[in-house]
Amino acid sequence: MSVFILPILFIGLFVYCLVKKINTYDGFVNGAKGAIKLVVEIFPYIASILIAVALLRVSGITNFLAEILSPVFNFLGIPKELVELVLLRPFTGSGSYGILENIFSSYGPDSYISRCACVIMGCSETIFYVATVYISQTKVKKLLYAIPVALICSLVGTIVACLICKIM
Amino acid sequence: MMLASMLVLLVTNPGAVLSEMISASTEALNLCIELCAVYAVWLGIIELVNLSGLSEKLAHLLRPLIKKIFRVDNPDTQKLIALNVSANMLGIGNAATPLGIKSMRALDDGSGKASFAMIMLIVVNATSIQLLPTTVIGLRANAGSANPSDIILPTIIATFITTALGILLVHLIDKIKRKTKK
Repeated sequence: MSVFILPILFIGLFVYCLVKKINTYDGFVNGAKGAIKLVVEIFPYIASILIAVALLRVSGITNFLAEILSPVFNFLGIPKELVELVLLRPFTGSGSYGILENIFSSYGPDSYISRCACVIMGCSETIFYVATVYISQTKVKKLLYAIPVALICSLVGTIVACLICKIM
Repeated sequence: MMLASMLVLLVTNPGAVLSEMISASTEALNLCIELCAVYAVWLGIIELVNLSGLSEKLAHLLRPLIKKIFRVDNPDTQKLIALNVSANMLGIGNAATPLGIKSMRALDDGSGKASFAMIMLIVVNATSIQLLPTTVIGLRANAGSANPSDIILPTIIATFITTALGILLVHLIDKIKRKTKK
C-alpha cells in the first residue's frame, strides 16, 4: 500500500499544476536550485557534529553513556543503539541526519533500529534551535514551560515510535 | 563535548584523534552530496506546491482550528500561524521558520513574558507536525531500502500523538496556572 503513496501524491500535484496552468518545469527547477545553497550552508554543522560524534565514539564515552542509560532506555522500550540519536536530536537538525545515516549503514535501512530512528526523526524536532530562533526577534526572555513540555512530548514520541515500529 | 572526548583519547588512543576527525568530516561531505540530491527533488516538488497555491489552501482550512488551539483573535496573526503550521505539515522547514518568526513577532506584546499563544507556537513547532518526512525517506531510499516510504504511516501516528500531547499539556498547565492565581 505505502509504495503507492508518493507516486500518487506526485501525479496529483502535477495534474493540479496542469489544471492551474503553472509552468511545472520552471517551478521545479527554481525549487531545486535552492538545494545547493542549502547544502553548502549546512555542511559545516553536519561536519562538526559528525566529528564530535566520532570522537565521542572512539573515546568510548558513547558506550559508557549507553551502558549507564541502558536500564532507563530498556525500561522505556528504546533500543540502546539509538542513544546517540535520542540525546543529540533536540540540539541539532542536520547533525541528526548524520547520525541517522550512521545507523543506516551499521544496521541496514530496513532493520527495526533504522525504522525506529526514522520515525523518531519524523516526530521530533530540534527543540532548542526552534526555541532560540523563534524568540530571537521578540522581547521575550523567558519561555516558561515551553521547553519542558516539548522535551516531554519528544520523549513520549520516541517511546511511541519504538512501539509502533514493533507492530507495523 | 569534543574537549571531553579528546582528553579521554589523550590517555587511551592519541594517534586516532586526527584520522578519526578527518574520516568523520569525509563522511559529512558524502552525506551532504546525498542530501543535495534529496533536497533537489523535494524542493522542486515543494516549489510546485507553493506555486499552485496548495499551501495557502491548506492554511485556509486550518484557520478555524488555529483559532481554537492558539486562542488568537487577530485574523492576520491567525493567517501567519496557519501558514507556519501548514508549511511544517508539508515538510517545508525553510518556509516554516521565517513564518514562525513573523508570527512570534505579531504575538509579542513587549512584556518580556511568553504568552499562551507563543508557548503554544513553540511547542507545536518543536513537536513536529510533519505529514511527509521527505528528507528521511530520501536518505532511506539512497541507503538501499526495499520500501523507503513504509515509515510514513508510523511517522504520522507518532507525530500526531506528540503534537496532540503537547497541545493538551500547554492547555492543562495554563488552566492550573489560572486556578492558582485565583
